[in-house]
Amino acid sequence: MEQSSESRPNGKTILIVDDEFGVLEVLEFILSDLGYHVVAALNGQEALARLRDCAPDLIVLDLMMPIMDGAAVLQTMQSNGKYSKIPVILTSALREQNVKERCSGYSLFLRKPFKTDKLLESIQQLLAAAPAKSKPEQK
Amino acid sequence: MSSDRDLTRVASGVQGLDTLLRGGFFRGGLYIIEGAPGTGKTILGNQICFNQAKADNKVLYVTLIAETVGRMLLNIGQMTFFDDAAIGDSIVYISGFNALKKDGLSGLLHLLRREVTAHRAKILVVDGFASASDSAQSGEELKVFVQELQTQADAADCTVFLLTNPTEQTPSSEETMVDGIINLESCLHEARSARDLHVRKMRGTRHLEGLHSYQIDDDGITVYPRLETLIPEVSSDNGWTHKISSGNERLDQMLGGGLPTRSVTMMVGPSGTGKTTIGLQFLSNSTKDEPGLLFGFYESPERIRSKAQALCNSKAGVFESGEVEIVWMSPNDQLLDDLGDQLIAAVRRRKVKRLMIDGLGGFNKAIRSRPIERFFSALVYQLRAEGVTTVCTAEVAEIIGPTITTPLWGLSDVTDNHILLRFREVGAALHRLLSILKVRDSGFDPGLRTFSITNNGIELAESSHDAESILLNWYARERKIAIVSAGAVKTGDE
Repeated sequence: MEQSSESRPNGKTILIVDDEFGVLEVLEFILSDLGYHVVAALNGQEALARLRDCAPDLIVLDLMMPIMDGAAVLQTMQSNGKYSKIPVILTSALREQNVKERCSGYSLFLRKPFKTDKLLESIQQLLAAAPAKSKPEQK
Repeated sequence: MSSDRDLTRVASGVQGLDTLLRGGFFRGGLYIIEGAPGTGKTILGNQICFNQAKADNKVLYVTLIAETVGRMLLNIGQMTFFDDAAIGDSIVYISGFNALKKDGLSGLLHLLRREVTAHRAKILVVDGFASASDSAQSGEELKVFVQELQTQADAADCTVFLLTNPTEQTPSSEETMVDGIINLESCLHEARSARDLHVRKMRGTRHLEGLHSYQIDDDGITVYPRLETLIPEVSSDNGWTHKISSGNERLDQMLGGGLPTRSVTMMVGPSGTGKTTIGLQFLSNSTKDEPGLLFGFYESPERIRSKAQALCNSKAGVFESGEVEIVWMSPNDQLLDDLGDQLIAAVRRRKVKRLMIDGLGGFNKAIRSRPIERFFSALVYQLRAEGVTTVCTAEVAEIIGPTITTPLWGLSDVTDNHILLRFREVGAALHRLLSILKVRDSGFDPGLRTFSITNNGIELAESSHDAESILLNWYARERKIAIVSAGAVKTGDE
């Protein structure tokens, strides 16, 4: 039975969005093992759907994806006050300079391929700095 | 019904490959690039993408492979064709693995259709197509997929490349349907790696058939079309009537007035007989209007220049002032057709008229997958077509002795003039002898001449007299040794 986010050691929910199944699988395994509640999405469209359901504390978002890319996800989040404060770690094989020309609204950038230590450090840093979020509405 | 785009080519931009394809792939076509792991499929696929991005075409690269896009780009990023700025705008990398895993071939096809349209892609690369083939429930399903992809590619004017591993069944069902197939092969040639590219199928074009060498380095893939497939369509047989100086007046007299222009002269002899000296004398007659080239394997340009200084005396300046270019190649780990390509390029670059190849054995040490005579035959034809008069050196193993083994079998058929250099030992002295065995379409002096090497190059004796007495003495000595040896054997038997 799935644990609720409150019952987990650090009680934080992370939404991982990446079209590469291998990347998604590895990150899901590592973050779950550390006690995070992990929600996965394979493209931007799926990510927006999950966003509504899981109210993540942080998003790890890939830039180049089919159906809807990371730039479009960021744009949608920026236009919605409910999501605009969620910290986002943007990941891409592009240089950050090239990424900056394409999109804005992310908190941190990690160039692919990245080491998981670097990702974990970035997650901890952003979660520590983030204001306490209000509990998701009970259905 | 035909339209303008029927004949539009999409250049790969890969050096040598477009030559094989007579200009490139056809726009809207579907092509398979097949090869075992490590043969360079992903490099070739990316190289085509970046070259097309430079030409302002949108590219979609879909991976079905285990390697992540980040890791792949990290590796590709080391190559000179890689352009960071092209990624994202011109080239989009996405994974098709989930679509394939979730909904099979129809899911993948749906993804490809949608993304090609969304990105207005003119080039689509599907890397790891073997995963798609493996996921097909039947050959029929795969056929339908390929057919639909082909229709989609044609409709979107998008050229598609499927990168895959070799199939057990050849031809596989998809191979019968695509517009072209390129095979990449890698094998060991003695202790060295040899790579060959084979355009196995190419609809609508008379591509260059057979195996062609390729190499992978920091510039990506470079293909070297087999020299014999590039034979120019111009006659190279005219021009025999003119002669140019060999650089040595007496040798010119023996040759019947000099070397026929566009001819190829082979100088055969053991090391130290003076082959390079004669070649340097030939090059020392180079001028701005008749540029020279020394294409050598064994001596560095510095060494050649100091040799020319010592042996060509007043004419040595041409080796310093640019009338003669010296190109030095290491004979190790070179591809035969790369050497041929570099030689022809150096000839064309300066419109070379006098060429010395020092020595032919360097070609023989290069990596090749076919008999060398075919290469030489094509090289000679090319050089004639370029209007070059060539002098080559070839070393023989026998230093002193009555027999001489042809250094490169089959070469005498394609070369025009033959000069033989020998040592003969008489008493305590070593003598050099020169003789002409053949001059194409011309009379010549077949007499043997002694010669010495001086500050002015070789100095040939006026007549055969000295050579004759040296040979008579030498044969008399040989006969005496033979009689003494026979006697010793006879005594021993008794």
